Amino acid sequence: MNPTITVLIYSSIAAASAALGAIPFRWRDSIPTAWIGWANALAAGLMLGTAYVIVVAGLNRMVWAGATGAFLGIGFIYWTHLIAHTEDIDLNKLDETGPEYGYQVLLVQSLHSASEGVAIGVAMSLNIGLGVFAAIAFAVHNVPEATVLCAVLRARGIRLRDAAGLAVMTNLSLILLAIVTFALIAAVPSLLPWTLGFAMGALVYLVMVEPLPESYRQAGNTSIALVTSVAMGIVVLLNGFLL
Amino acid sequence: MHPLALVFAYGLLTAMATGLGAIPFAFVRTVSPKGVAYANAVASGLMLGACFGLLVEGTESGTWPTIIGANLGILFILATQQILLRFNVSFGSLGSVAARRTLLMIVVMTVHSFAEGVAVGASFGGGMTLATLITVAIAVHNIPEGLAISAVLRPRGVSVIGCAGWSVFSSLPQPLMAVPAYLFVDAFAPALPYGIGFAAGAMVLMVFVELLPEAYGQASRRTVALLVSVSLAAMILFQRFL
Repeated sequence: MNPTITVLIYSSIAAASAALGAIPFRWRDSIPTAWIGWANALAAGLMLGTAYVIVVAGLNRMVWAGATGAFLGIGFIYWTHLIAHTEDIDLNKLDETGPEYGYQVLLVQSLHSASEGVAIGVAMSLNIGLGVFAAIAFAVHNVPEATVLCAVLRARGIRLRDAAGLAVMTNLSLILLAIVTFALIAAVPSLLPWTLGFAMGALVYLVMVEPLPESYRQAGNTSIALVTSVAMGIVVLLNGFLL
Repeated sequence: MHPLALVFAYGLLTAMATGLGAIPFAFVRTVSPKGVAYANAVASGLMLGACFGLLVEGTESGTWPTIIGANLGILFILATQQILLRFNVSFGSLGSVAARRTLLMIVVMTVHSFAEGVAVGASFGGGMTLATLITVAIAVHNIPEGLAISAVLRPRGVSVIGCAGWSVFSSLPQPLMAVPAYLFVDAFAPALPYGIGFAAGAMVLMVFVELLPEAYGQASRRTVALLVSVSLAAMILFQRFL
């Protein structure tokens, strides 16, 4: 199969799985705050684990370019948040129903997914197996992430079907960036260590700025720490066996 | 020098290097609550970066042992935390929450040194060149670990000398473990991935259960995220050059 088609298929799976995050709302109107916290922690741990997997796979490639890329990735997310005035936004406000907040949440989610797309594109360029692994890890990560997003959207009175659709929509940037990154590296292979570092820096910054700080206010520190580290451990474990 | 004395001396050298991490704090006099949060964030990034390195090393010699070790490390820290909570410990002039964090940090960093000591001792089996290389690598990588310890201890009122002392203390298992690991390389080699996993699990949990929640409570999330991610990337870069 043409590798670009593989990237397209797996990044689409990663984006589409966000719809699964809406499922809990079929049976209940709202979910307990602690669950939202655990969903955030689960998403954070899976993302951190995937960042680890990508770093390990690319560790031997031009370390300085990788490190510079990491600082660029961190800086990029930091600046986009500043420009959008979302640098300290709480993404889980269930009682905030103004239109501006709604747009901000969707914008932040789309930017977040874009970085995941870069990560998938980089992983696919390193080797297709690793790319598939990363895409599936993000597919699983997108489920609790979408559950949190749906909780916010449902609290704003949005229909469940529309909430699920919006969750998938915010992940379309993942597909786009995965393919663009993959194609760019295929055209200019020397970009690989830079994009690899970029993806790692962006993922770690995103974990630390979005799901994690919120989770601590939604559930106890111990349970959040456990969910995060176990989720990270599962990714490390699977990586050890599959690749 | 007797080979055993040499192994011990090399291990001691790596332990002493940890104390160097306290030096930056000689220039800091008072620390605001925000400063504590920033120090926590830097320590978190350094520890997570160190864990990335440990996990790579551990999974190379065995994925299951590393993961089992990591789970034991997590349980160990949770148990220690519960014990410290129950006895409402005090440490020097510190209140109970600060004392718990300080003690837990010392415990975490001390238990994590056992695996490093084994690595030093076992490396002597591969000849002096390898042993010197590993010893220098571990000594240098102990410096940011001393920095992480001092970043947690110093803002809570521990003196600079105290920070350096506790940093060295946390690495004392290195000379102590290096000697038996050298003597019984064959017995210790299979245990190494468990030890490495244990160290990684303990550090990851410490970051997520104590350091980060406090950091988020006292500083803006973007500053915390920036410090964690930059120090994590710096730690990985640092480790790659050793």
